[in-house]
Amino acid sequence: METDEDQRVIPFQLQFDKPVASQIKIAEWNPEKDLLAMVTEDSKILLHRFNWQRLWTISPGRCITSLCWRPDGKAIAVGLEDGTVSLHDVENGKLLRSLKSHTVAVVCLNWEEDGHLIRDDNGNISTYEDRTSCFFPPAPRVPRMPGVVSGDTGFMDDNEDSFQELSNSSHQRFNILCSGDKDGSICFSIFGIFPIGKINIHKFCFPTPLVGTQATYRLLNASIYKVALSKDLCHLIVMCSGELIEDNDASRDRRTAGHGMHGLHSLMLDTSIFWKRKNELHQVAQQASNIEDLTEVIRASLSVMCKQWSDAMHTFHEKFDPLSTLIIDHGLDSSPQEEFLSLLGGARTSPPVHQFLVNSLGEVGAKRVSKVVCGAGKELQLIVLNHLQPAAEIIGFRMGELRGLSRWRARYQGVGLDETLINNATEKAGMLLVQVERFMRVLSSVVQQFSNFFNWLLKCIKLLMSEPSDQLLPYNSELAVIFLKFLYDQDPVRKLLELSEADCDIEIELETMQRVKELVHFGGFLDCEYLRRTLAKEFQQMESSFKEAFLMPFSTISEKILCENLLPLFSLPSSPASTSFPVPTSISYYEDSSHAMSSNQTSQNSFIDYISFQIPEESFPEIANCIGIARGFMNDLISVKKGYSSLEAVLLGVPDGYHCVDLSLYKESQIVLLLNETTSSEGSGDACMMIVQANDLPFVSISRSTSLDYWMLHQLKESVVYLQMENEKVRSIPHSVIAPLAVSTSRGVACVFAARKRALVYILEEDEDEVSDAE
Amino acid sequence: MDLENFVFKKVTEEIEARKRASERVSFHLHAPKALFDLVEDIEAPADPKSKHSDKVGETSPYVHPPNYALKEFEPNSGIFLRTNWQIQGYLQEQADALEKNGSSFSLNAFELILRQLHKLAPELHRVHFLRYLNSLCHDDYFAALENLHRYFDYSAGTEGIDFVPPASGSNSFGRYEIALLFLGMMHFQFGHPKQALEVLTEAVRVSQQLSNDTCLAYTLAAICNLLSEIGVSNTAGILGSSFSPLTSIGISLSVQQQLFVLLRGSLKRAESLKLKRLVASNHLAMAKFDLTHVQRPLVSFGPKASMKLRTCPTNVCKELRLSSHLISEFGFESSTMTTDGAFSTAWLKNLQKPLGSAILSQENGSGSNENAFQFCVQPSSIPGSVLQLIGSSYLLRATAWELYGSAPLARINALVYATCFTDASSSSDAALAYVKLIQHLAVFRGYKEAFAALKIAEEKFLSVSKSRILILKLQLLHERALHRGHLKLAQQVCDELGVLASSVTGVDMELKTEASLRHARTLLAANQYSEAAAVAHSLFCMCYKFNLQVENATVLLLLAEVHKRSGNAVLGLPYALASLSFCQSFNLDLLKASATLTLAELWLSLGSNHAKRALSLIQGALPMILGHGGLELRARAYIAEAKCYLSDPSFSVSENSEVVLDPLSQASVELQVLEYHELAAETFYLMATVFHKLGQLEEREEAANSFKKHMMALKNPLDDEDPLFNVL
Repeated sequence: METDEDQRVIPFQLQFDKPVASQIKIAEWNPEKDLLAMVTEDSKILLHRFNWQRLWTISPGRCITSLCWRPDGKAIAVGLEDGTVSLHDVENGKLLRSLKSHTVAVVCLNWEEDGHLIRDDNGNISTYEDRTSCFFPPAPRVPRMPGVVSGDTGFMDDNEDSFQELSNSSHQRFNILCSGDKDGSICFSIFGIFPIGKINIHKFCFPTPLVGTQATYRLLNASIYKVALSKDLCHLIVMCSGELIEDNDASRDRRTAGHGMHGLHSLMLDTSIFWKRKNELHQVAQQASNIEDLTEVIRASLSVMCKQWSDAMHTFHEKFDPLSTLIIDHGLDSSPQEEFLSLLGGARTSPPVHQFLVNSLGEVGAKRVSKVVCGAGKELQLIVLNHLQPAAEIIGFRMGELRGLSRWRARYQGVGLDETLINNATEKAGMLLVQVERFMRVLSSVVQQFSNFFNWLLKCIKLLMSEPSDQLLPYNSELAVIFLKFLYDQDPVRKLLELSEADCDIEIELETMQRVKELVHFGGFLDCEYLRRTLAKEFQQMESSFKEAFLMPFSTISEKILCENLLPLFSLPSSPASTSFPVPTSISYYEDSSHAMSSNQTSQNSFIDYISFQIPEESFPEIANCIGIARGFMNDLISVKKGYSSLEAVLLGVPDGYHCVDLSLYKESQIVLLLNETTSSEGSGDACMMIVQANDLPFVSISRSTSLDYWMLHQLKESVVYLQMENEKVRSIPHSVIAPLAVSTSRGVACVFAARKRALVYILEEDEDEVSDAE
Repeated sequence: MDLENFVFKKVTEEIEARKRASERVSFHLHAPKALFDLVEDIEAPADPKSKHSDKVGETSPYVHPPNYALKEFEPNSGIFLRTNWQIQGYLQEQADALEKNGSSFSLNAFELILRQLHKLAPELHRVHFLRYLNSLCHDDYFAALENLHRYFDYSAGTEGIDFVPPASGSNSFGRYEIALLFLGMMHFQFGHPKQALEVLTEAVRVSQQLSNDTCLAYTLAAICNLLSEIGVSNTAGILGSSFSPLTSIGISLSVQQQLFVLLRGSLKRAESLKLKRLVASNHLAMAKFDLTHVQRPLVSFGPKASMKLRTCPTNVCKELRLSSHLISEFGFESSTMTTDGAFSTAWLKNLQKPLGSAILSQENGSGSNENAFQFCVQPSSIPGSVLQLIGSSYLLRATAWELYGSAPLARINALVYATCFTDASSSSDAALAYVKLIQHLAVFRGYKEAFAALKIAEEKFLSVSKSRILILKLQLLHERALHRGHLKLAQQVCDELGVLASSVTGVDMELKTEASLRHARTLLAANQYSEAAAVAHSLFCMCYKFNLQVENATVLLLLAEVHKRSGNAVLGLPYALASLSFCQSFNLDLLKASATLTLAELWLSLGSNHAKRALSLIQGALPMILGHGGLELRARAYIAEAKCYLSDPSFSVSENSEVVLDPLSQASVELQVLEYHELAAETFYLMATVFHKLGQLEEREEAANSFKKHMMALKNPLDDEDPLFNVL
């Protein structure tokens, strides 16, 4: 590029320069649309369009520590300080799901989808799709808690469509969300909703590739900076800080990696299990996450029902309790039931009952209580019919599908689907269905009895007040007796719904018990005692059996994620305060065109990774103000086996007078650098943004044979490439800028934040048409 | 039958309601003349209080378990004073018992009582109805017809109650339309679809004339029931011009479409009349219809017209769920108040229990926890007919899942029925649930357990002619005989199954197709290919004629199987493909998986260069087969998979023998449970060859021995240890 041309054409068209309300600490572009999600210092999430129109703002109430987009751009994953990862809908910011997979702050998130469509050849199954949608109407949703204004609960409330969309993962490509926390744990979840693995990098041992030494090393006090999953899901590069120490089981006294090995390390984890078993994992995750949704529906239904029923019962008792005091006041030694019975029998109307019915309850009161109780009963019935029963049925179906998968041992044992556990879970799902039916019967007869009782009561009141009682509904006196005997001061419905500590056995008719026992011979449930459990208890048991069954894939996969390689990058000051010191880093994977692999390489290796990072001043005083770029880390081990190393690195010296604020890898191995002028004081001065073509840089191959003694960068001391401002695409920015720099690879835009609360959006692909006057 | 009693109950309830409305109850004493002096006719006001006090005193003799009643009604066992009310209650309960126990109800004993009753109280016309029901249950056509006629002749359908306020509208014909409805249903019960349809059509006409909407709704439901049960040949045109409600719609509708229109109409009518139970049963009928029929839009043009020619399982599910809404709605039905005294039996039973003494004593407080569930032990106050309908929705679910292919759900739904509904349901429905469970056992756990369960079931449901248990037994025997290679026995059982079906065309279609399907399979097992193909062909023609699409898929698959066995794989392919497409459009996923398996086997037999294709076909179907297929299907899939690997020239046994040995050993385990000698022998043969290639001689010998054992068993079937052989 000629110099004089460079003067005329200013790269990166400025789209706008707008003020922002508060300082931004995280910003990420949507991979599919021109949307920018930002997190402010006070932990609000803002979503802006490309024209800076704000779509929505939400504040989760907890400190946000990381953010990333789902690969299809329809959801945002947010990592919180307390270790929760929550998903938000892009449309309205509603919380879709939240999963507390970590115990400490989630500092980085990476959501990668399988770059390839599921292929049909190679014996891969792609034909097996989820049958559920074919056989069932859309799955039931969580019933609304009455009296709660929508929006208050926040969790899966109004967002029915998007919730549906999230659960129906069959149209999605296989994708995995990785999240890393401050304590060195990394969690993996399929579709961001089904946890499939958790590892802690403290537990890894790293064999040294040093010739002649057999020492293994561990990382101490590791904290994760960044995770990046390769596009084929086979590798995970982790940037973490920590202290590398020799595993002390070795009897050797030489401690090469003793002190001073605290620094930034790059780890390469082998996650090829995700690639190898992606079809299986996809199936399992799809069924299992749907099952978890449905158990959520059941749980919510149970609690809503319990709440509604106990409210209604409370009203009932509130109205009817005065009767017993009235009876005592009248000096009678009897109970309300007895008094009512004698009224029903027509023997006499005792004064307290008369007083109660005519004065304290009255016709209006009786009608009101009747409406409350019967209305609640009706609501409960509808919840069972529309939510509980369908959910239980679909759970049964999906469990059956999973059972089918678990029997295909050749395929699914590898992902930890265990047949006996799934079988057990299927049985529990079946028991729940029986329990739901029984509950429905109890509920319906209770409701019937209540309404019958109130019909009778109304008639009595009318008679006592000597008013005509023609238009009243008929009643059945026998049912009224049963009601007084069994329901007046007992509440079987609530007992069935409530989970109490005390093991309350439900009394079962002898006949039923015999039938259940007999059914065992017909292939019934082996556990004959299940009818003695309450509905809530049964649900609890079912849930724990599900948990047990799904824990198996989780632990199996976790065990299969192994550490392949470790690359110490540079040391960090070992004071604990600086562990949170942010080091601008960026990891990206590119289609490897230059390194055309030999033909026997499978498609998984056609990517090359680039790791770029700023080197802090303190770590290498002799090579200050540099940026390191390493590539080929992923292929390193394979190459080592072949006899040559492909791990290469280069140091970029930032031009004098500038220092790097943030950097980001852009497409086609380009790096976008954000530089501030060092000379001026804080808050003033200019900055610039530049793009450097990385693959043209003179990379130096790093030999691994002796590298562990030194930080990887020591080898590069001699070969620093100094950037010349004149030779690169540079755009000066008339503000002092701060991190973060948000670059969208797919959309070709970058957003820069100035220290004075401004946001500037540049189109990286277009040059400014003419020298703008605004400059 | 269900519907019949259901209507009967309906009518009774109407009458009860009317009785209640008139605020008085007549206590007529039906006692021998000799005792007449002792008592007087009492007309008691139906005051709730007095009524109750009456009851507490005298409910005990009111209703008895049937065997009790038999004793009580012996002519010379003492003095009996029975109120009209009591007799009505007794008859009501007997009607319920008749429905519940079906043909196991003793015909003669009950007939004797009824005759006695009739002699003592000739004005109690309901006795005739009970006699009708009794003879209906015992398949006595002439007696049933006679009693039905007598009932309507005497009472004009107005029961044996002394006063009947004239129903609104003209009542000059009595209740002619109801009589027709009953007659139609009786004909249907006896398997005379033509007469039934004629009578019911007449009932529709009369109901319309008299604007008796309720009766019309029930009649329409009965016609739907009839049409969906009997096989109506496409060409016969039974409905033709004689059926007025339909001819007005159009002429070109097929029988199925007519049925659909009828169902919709009936549902709408029932909904508008707020007949909740009828609505539920209509939903069930709709679900049944949707299960096996492709909904073709009557108008199909334009860009939005769906070209999807498939059944719609979600509709089935929706209809089933709608039908279960009955449980929350039955209380709102116009007249469902349970009759007073309905609970007294159970109630008294409970009083005898020790806890009964604590009814009213308030010493709870600590024991309140236990007491709360005493309510659950109480007889449910939900009317039996409601429970019956809800229960049948579970049965239908189980059937649907058998077709759609979800073994766990089919089993669970049958279990829900068997656990929760057997007390309220008729014995034939309960038997059906148990039959399903036993079939499930046989398919998934082998014959040993199935026959053990069958034995219990046989005792439980005393088998009579045409009972499902008997059919099930024959089915199981046939399957096992085929697997063991007892072809003579298989043929014998198969013939016996065929005999059970009625000879009238269009009746018992299910049984007829099953019998001839089994016949074809037996022939196939005997390697009589052309005969088997001929039987299958004629079966296909019959299924086609009667629109039995689901069965068609099975028959086509059988034809493919015949060609596969006879070595004409190329001829078999089109049949397998046709079966596949049938399965697809009817969502028969399990059958589809097994058709896919057959297809793969056909490809494999065309040569080793098709092994890859066959393998991918099998692997595509494996999740379905392993999850929902029975032992036989699973074993076949395993064997086919292993064969695919073995015949693939690029596959080397020594490198990954696991891939082959693992499925083979699983197949061998499953086939031994099933005692399927032929396939087991094949499995062991394959295993032996694999071990041979691997050089593991010991294992090879073991497999070879097993092979030999199974071949011997196949050659000389031993029937000495067969306990059921002599049952036939």
